[in-house]
Amino acid sequence: MAGIRKHIVVTQSVRGVVLALSAPAMADMQLLGDEDMADISGQSGITLEMELGMTADRLTYFDDDRGIYLEDFRVGSASQPGKSAAHVIRVDITDEASLNLDYLVEDRRIEFGDIRLAGAPGIGMGGIFFDHSLQGNLRISPGGAFGSSGYTFDTAYTMTGGRLGYRTNGNEVFLDDITLSVEALGVTLDVVGSTLELNAPRVSGSYDVGAIRYSNNPANHGNTYDVATGQALPSYGGLSGSFDLSSKTGITAGGREGEGFRLDNETTINSASFIYHDDDHALAFREITGQYRLNDLRVDVTADRYGRDALGFTLGSLNGEFNIGRIEMGASGQSIGEVNVSFMLQDHIYNGRSYTNAVYLQGGGHPDAGSQGLRLSTEWSLQLADLSYTEDGNRVIFSGLQSWGQGDVTVNVTRDGELNGTRFYDGLRIGFENVSAGYRVNGLRVGSEDAPLQGGTELLLALGFYPAYEFDMDGQVTLGAGGASGEGLTINSDIRIRNGRAAIIAAPYDEGAGEVSQKGLWISDLSYDAHVRDMTLDVTEDGLALVKGEAWSLMDVGNLRVGDKDAGSSFGRFVAQKYETGSSMIIVPGGAGNVCAGGSGGTESACAASGGIWEARGDEGITIQLKQILAKEVSDARKNALTWETNRQVDSSGKPINNTGSRLVLDDIHTSDGGDFDGDGVDDNTFGIRTDLSVDVYQTKVVKKTDGADALGVVGARGDEKIMDPAAGAGYRYVSSPTTADLDNRPLGFAVRARSRFKELSINNIDLFHPTGGPQTAVYGVKMQNFDIEANLTATPIP
Amino acid sequence: MNRRYAHALLLALALSSSKHAVGELDRLNDEALSEVSGQGGIYLSGDISINEMGGPIENGYFGRCDDAGKKCGARLAYRLKEDGGWMVLDEIRGNFAFEGLTLRVRSIDSGFAGDGEAFNGDVVEIGLPDTVRYNDVRFKIAGSNTPRPTDPGFQQTDIFAVEMQGDVIMEGNLLVFPTGNP
Repeated sequence: MAGIRKHIVVTQSVRGVVLALSAPAMADMQLLGDEDMADISGQSGITLEMELGMTADRLTYFDDDRGIYLEDFRVGSASQPGKSAAHVIRVDITDEASLNLDYLVEDRRIEFGDIRLAGAPGIGMGGIFFDHSLQGNLRISPGGAFGSSGYTFDTAYTMTGGRLGYRTNGNEVFLDDITLSVEALGVTLDVVGSTLELNAPRVSGSYDVGAIRYSNNPANHGNTYDVATGQALPSYGGLSGSFDLSSKTGITAGGREGEGFRLDNETTINSASFIYHDDDHALAFREITGQYRLNDLRVDVTADRYGRDALGFTLGSLNGEFNIGRIEMGASGQSIGEVNVSFMLQDHIYNGRSYTNAVYLQGGGHPDAGSQGLRLSTEWSLQLADLSYTEDGNRVIFSGLQSWGQGDVTVNVTRDGELNGTRFYDGLRIGFENVSAGYRVNGLRVGSEDAPLQGGTELLLALGFYPAYEFDMDGQVTLGAGGASGEGLTINSDIRIRNGRAAIIAAPYDEGAGEVSQKGLWISDLSYDAHVRDMTLDVTEDGLALVKGEAWSLMDVGNLRVGDKDAGSSFGRFVAQKYETGSSMIIVPGGAGNVCAGGSGGTESACAASGGIWEARGDEGITIQLKQILAKEVSDARKNALTWETNRQVDSSGKPINNTGSRLVLDDIHTSDGGDFDGDGVDDNTFGIRTDLSVDVYQTKVVKKTDGADALGVVGARGDEKIMDPAAGAGYRYVSSPTTADLDNRPLGFAVRARSRFKELSINNIDLFHPTGGPQTAVYGVKMQNFDIEANLTATPIP
Repeated sequence: MNRRYAHALLLALALSSSKHAVGELDRLNDEALSEVSGQGGIYLSGDISINEMGGPIENGYFGRCDDAGKKCGARLAYRLKEDGGWMVLDEIRGNFAFEGLTLRVRSIDSGFAGDGEAFNGDVVEIGLPDTVRYNDVRFKIAGSNTPRPTDPGFQQTDIFAVEMQGDVIMEGNLLVFPTGNP
């Protein structure tokens, strides 16, 4: 470790340490050498009782002469500011020359008031506080994993009454009432070459967070209850879970530039669970297993790409895999299925530009929110990820997910009101500044990892999911505490996207012969402004419920292109304005259940009699219940309208000029219940458009459409059915008259059942705008009533 | 060939009861297929139904399909004059079932009796299913004096009704692509 040349400076005083000692006398305590320890046996031990109160104005860490300051450092009582925290430590040395520490810490707070960078005066990252009572033991034995020069640690402790908080400008978010039990046996510490290696063969424990609270009153600092009202501070909900891990960590001197240090880590999650509690309901992630490998993470006090002083984290690579065996929600704890994610974060080239993985932590946050906050100058490169979802034993893989981007993310704890010209809301504000990013999915694979690539994400467009998306983004999402009732989240958001290119249909970017420009149907030259107010997120007895208070957006698609996202031919410009009040989305466990595909009937026999195929899709799966209440126009900015413009004039660079062509406008589209039933003089609008999307993976009937060989050379006749057969060369064959056994081997597909209903959907008028002739109304009203449309579609690869 | 002319030839929907009636659209052989990018795509099997058991409105006009006194289909009304009457598609119901509706983006630079080379562009290809099974598909064309059947003074004159049952052969591909000035 000779290469580590760090300077830690403590400025100001360390005061108020009071020690009371039970025999033997404190004055005899000295550091023990290995020889001394070897000779010690049968000591009865000593007990130290301490009242610890400690403050320091500043702790400074220097790296290549750049400094980071931990300011207003304090250790003392959590419940009585200015007082000390009680410590009782019993020290014992065993026959094996191990040092035993039994400790009891009561009501302790460790706090930094702010974290600042020397090169960024006047702004800070905000403060952190950590309250806890601890009881446990630690045994330190000589000898590590690689010889006698190391150490072995065995520890077990329980933390109660814990709080962990983040504070900016007097507002804070904190985990409250934390209980944590940990046991870690056989942890070794060795110096291997130039690396300090910490090996934890097994760390297990459980945790419980009573609530995650928010306060916008500086006087509430570190309190569960509001000092003014005596009421419990609003809560985002609670957490609980357990873990059983193995990990190996290496720490090496040397940053990415000069001084600093390097971290390498391998962790295996033998088992874990994570449960989010919202009042009496839970969203549970159970049977979690996985592993990851962190390679060459460097930590430096440095500057980001714009020369701003920062604490830099730059990554060599991170890869791993996680599996969540069950995702449970709703009153019955039903599982939606199993999710598996494998990922590789490392440098890669996208669209001709190389991206890396780095986060540069800076102070300040949003400049209008106050002097404290976090700014994360980020760049990321997710070179490859596969996300698979398994329900009732059948699997669909979102294959070849890539994501890249860079930009600033700001984090502030804010309070409601306008400050320096910017509107803020109560909660944890996550801001986006000059974020330029993208993602793409190569395609779906159904059944197994070696299944052919296919489409299918098109069936999820109603959820706003695009298989590829590139954009420049600014905006904010503020996560407030408290849901529609009790615990939960309230979300206020403003997002602005420019230069967007999103695929509605996308071909693979890599069909096995290397990456190519992705072909598709693209909404390109996209500008999108979306605003959400008072949207609540709660776990309910049904599932996960997202209810929008008010939402409005303007999506201006400069060109709808086919082929290449930039150069493809254009269908013209499309503008969609949306204005919704009280819309909602509820995620419910369970898919479509029993389905009569291609026929009708509620029983297997009735379905077969109608020519349909009875599909028992099982208990798992996922259903998304959407309710879109399209409100009647209240202003030009808040209404529902759709515009198609073509034949635009072009500027000197050949770029079309908006609003110079011919336009077709569907104006003031809105839903209604079909009358004024509550007598308030306005048509009721509570039903909206209700869409239930049920997602399953299930077998389906695939029929050959032409005689002869298909794309993979498998021969069949028109009308033959595709039957999966591992013994066949391509993994399937065509059968003219399938047997019962054949029917059990129909190919798996991505099955989506969508049911949309509305009582009334109106278009106030449809206008035609001529570039010189002006507007003319073509249709004076459209009224659609009593619709119930069900589409039951299963997607498979094109044979 | 003139590009616009090539476009016109390619915008072809082969909708017929005979698999041979596809005009100048030639099927692509394997060699041509090998030059087609975007093989991903999807093959869809399933069905679409409209108001199989009725819609969401329960009132004096609309009801469930087992209530003989009520209409259970969907209704669409529009008017072309500001103070005019309403054209109505009423009692819209039915079920369509199919296997083999395909969707993909495809590059065409050959085939089509030489038109493909002149076209040399990308299209959205909707591959029609060979057979679509129509089950009790029906609607009425009518004229009405009010948009809602529950409006005061509502009157409606049914003009004709359509009912379809059985299999319809839909063969070929629908190629969709932009043309003209966007």
